[in-house]
Amino acid sequence: MPRRAPSGATEPVRGLEAILYREAKIRFTNYAWMFWDVLYPLGYLLIFGVGINYAMGSPLPTMDIDYNEFFLGGVLAMASFGIASNTAWGFFLDRDNGIFYEMLTYPLSRAAYLAGKVSFNVLLALVQAGVTVGMSALILDVKLRPTLLPWMLFGVVVGTAGWFFFSAIFALRIRRNDVFNTVISIFYFLFLFASSMFYPLEPLPGWFQRMALANPITWQVDLLRYGTVGLAPSYLTLEILAFVAFTLAAFYSGVRTLSQRS
Amino acid sequence: MALQGNSNPALRVIELVKVYPSRRGRPEVRAVNGMSFEVGRGEIFGLLGPNGAGKTTTLKILTTLLTPTSGKAEVVGFDVVAQPLDVRRSIAIVLQETAVELFLTTRDNLVTFGKFHGQSLAAARRRADSVIEKFQLTEHAHQKVQDLSGGLRRRVQVAKMFMVETPVMFLDEFSTGMDPILKRAVMGYLREEARRGRTIVLTTQIMTEAEELCDNILIMHRGKAIAQGDLNTLKLLAKDVYDVTLTFEKLSPTLTSELAALHPLRLAIDHNTVEMTLKAEESRVLAAITGLAARARLLHVEVSGPSLEDIFVDLTKE
Repeated sequence: MPRRAPSGATEPVRGLEAILYREAKIRFTNYAWMFWDVLYPLGYLLIFGVGINYAMGSPLPTMDIDYNEFFLGGVLAMASFGIASNTAWGFFLDRDNGIFYEMLTYPLSRAAYLAGKVSFNVLLALVQAGVTVGMSALILDVKLRPTLLPWMLFGVVVGTAGWFFFSAIFALRIRRNDVFNTVISIFYFLFLFASSMFYPLEPLPGWFQRMALANPITWQVDLLRYGTVGLAPSYLTLEILAFVAFTLAAFYSGVRTLSQRS
Repeated sequence: MALQGNSNPALRVIELVKVYPSRRGRPEVRAVNGMSFEVGRGEIFGLLGPNGAGKTTTLKILTTLLTPTSGKAEVVGFDVVAQPLDVRRSIAIVLQETAVELFLTTRDNLVTFGKFHGQSLAAARRRADSVIEKFQLTEHAHQKVQDLSGGLRRRVQVAKMFMVETPVMFLDEFSTGMDPILKRAVMGYLREEARRGRTIVLTTQIMTEAEELCDNILIMHRGKAIAQGDLNTLKLLAKDVYDVTLTFEKLSPTLTSELAALHPLRLAIDHNTVEMTLKAEESRVLAAITGLAARARLLHVEVSGPSLEDIFVDLTKE
């Protein structure tokens, strides 16, 4: 039978609740976090997306959608990636100021600790996705495909978890702040630009296409694009399977790294 | 969790070894090398040792942050390797680093800590308010900890220990950055907790702190326990060690070399006052003082038994 904590809740539930409480307090009492977590990707859509849309219109003459519709999936993936790397940075700060090690002495298993962190990230990403999708429909007149929205939710949930575990591995392994910031910046640049986030891959040279197709963020962007406006490459099923495998591998490595480092 | 009524020791460590493997050309380090000791429930236990003696490594093993290479360690009967969650339910720890939630307020730091230890939000808030008052943190209760000074951050960190009722409390250099008045108050609170049956394990470099607080002291050196007992027991180990304070009317020019010839364990000269620790038979110490008095007029003479610091220096000197 699960052990009951003094609060009356079972211990795993109480642990999860405590992590969610901590993360929510940190993120929602700090305007800088709020900006990066909730508004930054929306700003990308409203400024960069609208600019490109007016300047160039549809990303491809053969596509029956405008740039705002094309870019929405990319913005949602960018939000997943951004929330996860912000949390990884939080991890790094926690370790730097010692609270990370103190938390590892709390009555909580390592897996429960990571599960709590990822649950908060997923909830935040869902809120962020709701805001972005809602605003894009209202302001930019993006034509959503409601029947496909569960795929969008699936892409946000799996993607945020995958990127969180992936970033956590580096936050736990790298000890120096400057090195950590450099690595995250390089990842940000490579993953986001060498993918289908900002432009369709069809007109690009073969080497670039191959690089983008090997990039997990392309898999997530394609899934999210399908889940919002119904646009999908023929190999989408393969991408979804690869992305789920990537998330599971990142989870396994994340838990392993956490156990080794503590 | 009940704090009293159990005859099992709070801590039991048997032949504990921790070896950090060699890395990047650096040789392996045997940080803990066959330590064994027991700590009774409700004791204030001091783990002392020079830098690199293995105190923090021992503490990290006891708090499940590190796994031992060999040997066994138990906290209130739970094995640190086989039952880490049970151990974590039984402990609260102040780490050497100032571990606080920088982005949270003082009050939220305490409430979050309470919630992690299973308290409901309402109970954690109630308790946080009384702890805030106890630690004189009322005016900083709603300030984010990142805006507080180092000393106040440390105070918040120590205050967290009083949010919970865990049977064992670990404090690694708890008084760093604390002003003397608060430190004295916290020492009083710790004694109170020990009287209620809570076991307190502390490491410190400040010997007077350990001397005043601890019922049981273990001195570590190079990963091994070299002495354990209460203050009186340790004093017996340092037999023939004396603290000598001499105030001269005027210091003679040859005094420094004469003092050095006595091979003191510790020597400090401030204006006309000499403070030193000598390890020698009582008659030889008195003869030395008489010899010094023959060369310059003595205004004040004081000879006492060894302090914990003298014992520590005597036992750990290379």
